[in-house]
Amino acid sequence: MAQIEVRELTKIYAVGDQNITAVDSVSLTIHKGEFVSVVGHSGSGKTTLISIIGGIMKPTSGQVLFEGQDICTFDDDRLSEYRNEKIGFMFQFASLLPMLTAKENVMLPGLFRKTKSTGDPGTAMELLNVVGIGDKCDAYPSQLSGGQQRRVAIARALMYDPRVILADEPTGDLDEETENDIMQLFRRLNKEKEITFIFITHNRELAGMAQRKLRMTRGNLHEI
Amino acid sequence: MKTEFTFSSFALRNVKRKPLRTVILIIAIALLVSALVFSLSFVRRVSSSIRLASERLGADILVVPAGSRGFAEDVLLENKAKSFYMDKGIINKLKAIQGIDSLTYQTYLTTMQGKCCDVPETVVVAFNQDTDFIIKPWLTEKFGRKLLKGEALVGNESAFNIRVGLVEVDSVLFGNIFKMVGILDKTGTGLDNALFIDDGNLEDIMRKGKTDLKPGQVSIVFVRVKKGLDPYKIAGEIEDSFVEVDTMARKDIGKSIITTLRDINYIFIFTMSLICFLSGFLTWAIFSAIANERAREVGIMRAVGAKESHIISVFLLEVIIVGSIGSSIGILCGTSLSILLAKTFSIMKNLPLHFSIAERIIIACIGFLIGNAVCIAGALSPIQKIKKMEPLMAIKKE
Repeated sequence: MAQIEVRELTKIYAVGDQNITAVDSVSLTIHKGEFVSVVGHSGSGKTTLISIIGGIMKPTSGQVLFEGQDICTFDDDRLSEYRNEKIGFMFQFASLLPMLTAKENVMLPGLFRKTKSTGDPGTAMELLNVVGIGDKCDAYPSQLSGGQQRRVAIARALMYDPRVILADEPTGDLDEETENDIMQLFRRLNKEKEITFIFITHNRELAGMAQRKLRMTRGNLHEI
Repeated sequence: MKTEFTFSSFALRNVKRKPLRTVILIIAIALLVSALVFSLSFVRRVSSSIRLASERLGADILVVPAGSRGFAEDVLLENKAKSFYMDKGIINKLKAIQGIDSLTYQTYLTTMQGKCCDVPETVVVAFNQDTDFIIKPWLTEKFGRKLLKGEALVGNESAFNIRVGLVEVDSVLFGNIFKMVGILDKTGTGLDNALFIDDGNLEDIMRKGKTDLKPGQVSIVFVRVKKGLDPYKIAGEIEDSFVEVDTMARKDIGKSIITTLRDINYIFIFTMSLICFLSGFLTWAIFSAIANERAREVGIMRAVGAKESHIISVFLLEVIIVGSIGSSIGILCGTSLSILLAKTFSIMKNLPLHFSIAERIIIACIGFLIGNAVCIAGALSPIQKIKKMEPLMAIKKE
């Protein structure tokens, strides 16, 4: 069974009097453990597509089946649980909460879990070490550079063993060396833990590292 | 080191983010609650003092000279030195009224320091020990005997107020020497500030000519009606039968003050409503700004799995922290003001103090709840708005 199945997905934004179709009848099947890159021009609908798959946006029409269940029919609580337990997000901007330290930001999703436990700080530290900023664990986002903040966000996405990582230009602010480190980490997690990765990138080299490459053009999706 | 954080610590950190804004909101809530606690304390204190004082008098009906209701209230509630007299013959006339169980009378004399007496201005109550049921319950057990001629008792607060000081001292009252032989228990009425003598002393007092009391006069007759009868009905019958007197049923004592108090109450309610509205509006404005500023953070929290209820919890806890701090400060200020300013209001200066800790706690709880309720009401609409935002839209909101 496919892990993610997107059927005839459409998203239309109303901007003033105009309707803009960001995603146009897209269908897509992704299996567990796939390593998928999505490329395309700005405004082509990449972010909208993975946002709908991740449950942070509702489509205008169509279905997104995750392990056979249509997440578009979920109520808010169930959709939140889905995001919390199954999905790890990495946004294209710094997405940390300013009043939490780096380590606390990594542990944040745990606060919203049914157990209401923020989890093991040891795991958070381990992940911060993996992304190379273990020494900054008690620093607040304002004390970190853009690249360091991005690494904390990556650690947060990996913290609770998600089934799927949705990453929107995850290495955008990082230097080449760190970018490669992060991509190696992604590959390793993909292989070892069979975590599915769908990442958006403008970097052809990074896109090339994926086993499956997709391109979005004006809301339409094509295999490359 | 184990790092754990909860919704409460999360909210607390948010509260600390913009200290000035938080302080402004806390001050607004503190002002609201202190005004509320002060006005509630004022109204409750006056009304409960009057109610308890009338209950403790132990009579169902008071019979006073026609036109002297106000004077009687002045003496009984506020210990204002007033003299008013009627013919003692009224007592026998009243005995003819059906439904009266027992009655007793008192005569009030006003002391004037330097002219008749060596005590400051107060009321001297001459009472009949054989028929009395007003003073007897407040005679301390250790006194245990009747007052003799030339002896006086002091009210529980008069010992302090008129500086008689210790008992077993002699004072000159209307040209006669009286020995202060004991202190009455606290009655909670204006009588707490009075001096008490047996009415057998009146003849000697009048002989000295230092009072305008005439032989055969009394100030007030206290009436108890038979069980199950309506005091109002009997009071009406007394007034219909004897034009020279007015009556007051127990529940009517202090009616004029309570009516005035009701008007003050309306002003308080109006002012409080206005302050509540303004505080609520301020909370709304501040939380609308907070919600806008934190839209992206809320979006991020939603993206990592926060439910709408989690967002509400975080914001509500923040509101409750601010509301609780503001309310607590308000309770402290309001209670302090009600104590410190009590004596600047003449209505409170003269009333006996009837304000238990329990009543203060109830008022504090009301203040605390209203302070928090106003805060929550003000913040509810921005919270509702932000929790309903689609996570991606919230994240993208600048």
